[in-house]
Amino acid sequence: MPDRILLIEDDQELGAQIVESLKKAGFDPTWWRAGRHLEPAHLSGLVLVILDLMLPSVYGLDILKELRASGAEVPVLVLSARNDTADKVRALKLGADDYMTKPFWPEELVERVRARIRRPALQRGDALEVGKLRLDLATRGATVDGGVVELTRVEFDLLAALARRPGVAVTRGWLVEHVLDPDREGNERTLDVHVSRLRKKLGAAVRVETVWGIGYRLGTGAEPA
Amino acid sequence: MKLRTRLVVATIGVTVPMVVLLMWLDGRARHQAAAVALSEGITRRLQNPDERYRCEDAPAAWGKPRPRGGPPGRDHAPPRRPPPFPMGAPPVHYAYDEALRSPNPAAPALSPAWARGADERDFYIVPRAWWSDDVDIVVRTPWGEGPCAYVLTHGTTTPGFIGALLPASPIWLLPLAAVLVAILVAVGPVIARIRRLTAAVQRSAAQGFADSVPVEGKDELGELARAFDAASREVRAQLAVKDQREQTLREFLSSTTHDVMIPLTVLQAHLTTLREAHAAGRAPDPLILTAAMDETHYIGALLHNLAVAAKLDAGEPGMIKGPVDLNALVTRVVSRHAPIARQRAIALEHAVPEQPLETEADVTMLEQAVSNVLYNAIRHNRTGGHVALILEPQPEERFRVRVIDDGPGIPPAQLERVAKRGQRGDAARTRAPDGQGLGLDIAHRVARLHGHDLRFTASEFGGLQVDLEGPTEPSRPEPKDQ
Repeated sequence: MPDRILLIEDDQELGAQIVESLKKAGFDPTWWRAGRHLEPAHLSGLVLVILDLMLPSVYGLDILKELRASGAEVPVLVLSARNDTADKVRALKLGADDYMTKPFWPEELVERVRARIRRPALQRGDALEVGKLRLDLATRGATVDGGVVELTRVEFDLLAALARRPGVAVTRGWLVEHVLDPDREGNERTLDVHVSRLRKKLGAAVRVETVWGIGYRLGTGAEPA
Repeated sequence: MKLRTRLVVATIGVTVPMVVLLMWLDGRARHQAAAVALSEGITRRLQNPDERYRCEDAPAAWGKPRPRGGPPGRDHAPPRRPPPFPMGAPPVHYAYDEALRSPNPAAPALSPAWARGADERDFYIVPRAWWSDDVDIVVRTPWGEGPCAYVLTHGTTTPGFIGALLPASPIWLLPLAAVLVAILVAVGPVIARIRRLTAAVQRSAAQGFADSVPVEGKDELGELARAFDAASREVRAQLAVKDQREQTLREFLSSTTHDVMIPLTVLQAHLTTLREAHAAGRAPDPLILTAAMDETHYIGALLHNLAVAAKLDAGEPGMIKGPVDLNALVTRVVSRHAPIARQRAIALEHAVPEQPLETEADVTMLEQAVSNVLYNAIRHNRTGGHVALILEPQPEERFRVRVIDDGPGIPPAQLERVAKRGQRGDAARTRAPDGQGLGLDIAHRVARLHGHDLRFTASEFGGLQVDLEGPTEPSRPEPKDQ
């Protein structure tokens, strides 16, 4: 079932385009052309509210205030035409989670919506799961698609560090500092060697991606490249 | 009311009641003294037993004033020397019988209350208005019967005769007049100075406070003139600031219009090309499409930059500092430019630390600064190039935002110029020949305003490496994002 998103936007054209983009991205948008009293019934099943501040009127902020006063915790992404610090500070203070300044690309909006409702990495107790990869942090065991993969201490730590933030680039500097054994001489070259060994052991099902200028990232397999 | 009139009125208002009070006190005292003197005179006279016979012989004629300085009368009164000041009329006595009737036709009516008063005391003072000169007392004769049972003695308080306390002549008005004249004379120059000052201030105001107000004297008026002078200087300064602002605004509007018109014109040309392709049944040229998207992206960035530039021109008050989540800021900036990087087939990567970094800044300005650096790297890269934005904590509670690219980079000489940019107030806007326009200038100015370090170096990947460093704030105990 697609995630339901409530869009509150008074501009006809912009509203229609946002709805179109969200639909294309696989969401189920509801579009309110005017600010209305938000009932708890409206909020059930919503994963996100996209709220145009409709500046210069403060109506959008009133809706936000009312929403937060009712105790609703649904994330709110605020759209603002005025790139104004005072507006942002006010919106964040009233409980907005994020804001976007016009103009924006439809892709940008979708990306920000996805980032806002992204589920954290599945971590059940001591286990980390990313796609077909499963890491048991207690026993330090790794499986890919159910098959056990034998990893060295450094390789496991490296993989765990990436799996904790799947899809997010981690800098080589951080990995050298936090994963490699400080007693032994560890540098970025050593790190690359560990990564290439790790890739061989994991096979094609789990991608440890090189990120240009940064370091490495564990591909989630879910998002299109 | 003019100052002079006001002073006169005030002086009169204060002195007249005082004079009236003094006159009242004086009149009372003189009445009292005259009454006592009269009573002493008549008592002494009535103590002479011959006086009873004289009175009862001719009660109608008794009591007429005796000629002064004449031969000594039978009343044994010693001859008096005339006093050196004007004298009042000598006292006159009227005799009344027990029924309060007088055979003397000139005698005033004697009220029974007065007679009762005379019965009770040595003598009774007939009440008179305080301004009156007349003093009447009533005494009961020692024998108290016959046609001369009561005597009314009439005198006056005129000085000289009965020793009044104050001189009666209007000479005491002289000090009052002197005070009045002194005030008016002393006030003259003060008024003249006030008039000069007023004229000077009006002249200064008429010329838009271009002239200063002349200051004369070290007294309160001098201070007033100094205060006027200071006020007019302040007004001059404010007017200058306002003029400067207006000038800035006019220049801003005109350059903004100019800056926005160029990319809009380019965009219109692109759109026209696309429409022509469509009309001719050809597929749109992806290069033109990308260029058109580029232009709109550029216009958006430009407008944001112009807004920030306006705030920067306004100076420090335009800033609203607050805690800024740098992770969120970097993510926003990357997602803003990701679509255009994708269009240009430039790989845009970013990394943020697991623990969000927070700093104290104006979020709009800082975001625009980072955005400009990143957009610059994308704009000047080539197809298939790479751009990476890395936010990392640094030692000593600092953060570093690093933008690296593998574009053509900038020659060392120009690098220095870019680094020095932002020290010029009138930075060339937008499309400067070296392509490093308003955006980097704003990045510089924002960094300087926040006390951040902004460094341009050659990146190890062949392009530019830009580092923005500043202090971090300890993150909040409960981060909003899970």
